Amino acid sequence: MAPITLLRTAALAELASLAVLLANLATVHLAPVASLVGPIHGCAYLLVIGTTWHLTRTAPATLLAAVPVLGGVLALRRIRDLRP
Amino acid sequence: MTKVLLSIHVLAAIVAVGPVTVAASMFPPAARRGDTATLRLLHRICVVYALIGVAVPVFGLATAANLGVLTDAWLLTSIALTAAAAALLGLVILPRQRRTADGTDGTDPGPLGMLTGVFNLLWAVVVILMIVRPGSTTGA
Repeated sequence: MAPITLLRTAALAELASLAVLLANLATVHLAPVASLVGPIHGCAYLLVIGTTWHLTRTAPATLLAAVPVLGGVLALRRIRDLRP
Repeated sequence: MTKVLLSIHVLAAIVAVGPVTVAASMFPPAARRGDTATLRLLHRICVVYALIGVAVPVFGLATAANLGVLTDAWLLTSIALTAAAAALLGLVILPRQRRTADGTDGTDPGPLGMLTGVFNLLWAVVVILMIVRPGSTTGA
């Protein structure tokens, strides 16, 4: 898997997993869903930061990637701007 | 839910850490041969699977929290060794690999073989700790 594909996947997972967590919290509030999707969200968050660092090797882009929830999307936009 | 988390943790450890140990071990001999195409490929395998490897500690911590064993001595030792292995890989082995693959350090792998051996040894110790779990009372 190319690192940019990894970043896209992780960025999507970061958003989708949080949506599932919040939907679960607002509706049925099932504990097993939270304990499974919670680590998936954490994983995606760390993967976004690591992959962005690998792709850009710059502190500003990596800090952007560390923004909760939107980090992946912001990092993808930054990388698109860096490589037209 | 603990069993699902544990399954993901073990699966991630096999699928993500396995390729890193193999590709990192193949790197120094390829560097001595001066095979730059192979070096780039092996380095890329190491980087991508090291990144995916964040799933291992994340799901490991989630499993441990579910089991209520987060403060057990065997687990704290494993966490410390894992942190050491991750730091060795991310801060020493991968940057050195990148410089060797780019040719900026020449193609002499230097102590890369030894460092990779230490990394693999750390993982072996962590796996054994995970199986033996000295002092644990949660069964075999």
